[in-house]
Amino acid sequence: MTTEVLKAKTGRYLRGESVPAETRQIQTWLSCIVDNKEALPQKEKEKIENEIVAEIQAYIEYTQIDPKPRYWWQKITALF
Amino acid sequence: MMSRNFTPEQALIDKLPFGDATALEELSRRYGYSLYSYCLAKLNSHEDAKRIVRNIFISLWENRDRLPADFSLSIHLYTEVRKAVVQCINSKLKTSVNIPAIEKQIIPGFSIGALQQARQPVNTQKSLYPFSASKKRNYEEQWWNRFIPAISMKGLKHGLKSMLNFW
Repeated sequence: MTTEVLKAKTGRYLRGESVPAETRQIQTWLSCIVDNKEALPQKEKEKIENEIVAEIQAYIEYTQIDPKPRYWWQKITALF
Repeated sequence: MMSRNFTPEQALIDKLPFGDATALEELSRRYGYSLYSYCLAKLNSHEDAKRIVRNIFISLWENRDRLPADFSLSIHLYTEVRKAVVQCINSKLKTSVNIPAIEKQIIPGFSIGALQQARQPVNTQKSLYPFSASKKRNYEEQWWNRFIPAISMKGLKHGLKSMLNFW
């Protein structure tokens, strides 16, 4: 497979226009995990996890300083 | 990865519409690393993997008011991460970024041989014990079995029989 073919296939998949065979091929690729890599040590895992959480926290804190306007119906529906 | 608390997942999801940032933090600690490692395995890029995981949780936060009643976080994350991986590859191919890396690392994964691995059954390791894994825990709890783990009743009987024959 060339990059051009892959580009066309992924494009069609994202637009929902791919034929069943293409969909199956991409979904099989997504499901296929060959775990050849050695597991990271616990400290490395925690470091990566903390980095991800820190980025999410930074975004949340930013939105709390500069919140998007919430409509009255959003506040009401949130209660349910 | 160990989580910091034992709050049920549904309780954390229920807190999200009220703007509880600690609930999102806890959920991202529970699922963040596994999503990251999946993205890394597919894209071979630490930056892309981290960006995808961050964006998934940020979008969950943004849409916290619109979560359906039967919302399942694991299904949502599974769907979103798969979509994001395909989107990432497509956008890289469109912008022609790292084409040699994609040709080397991602395209071989689409070969027939690589895809057939997904259809293979999971290899089961041959057990040392003569019974199923569910009974293995009870077996190991008995202290004497720790010292003689590989001796079965059949083997013991055979050993005694051969000793008697020898005498």
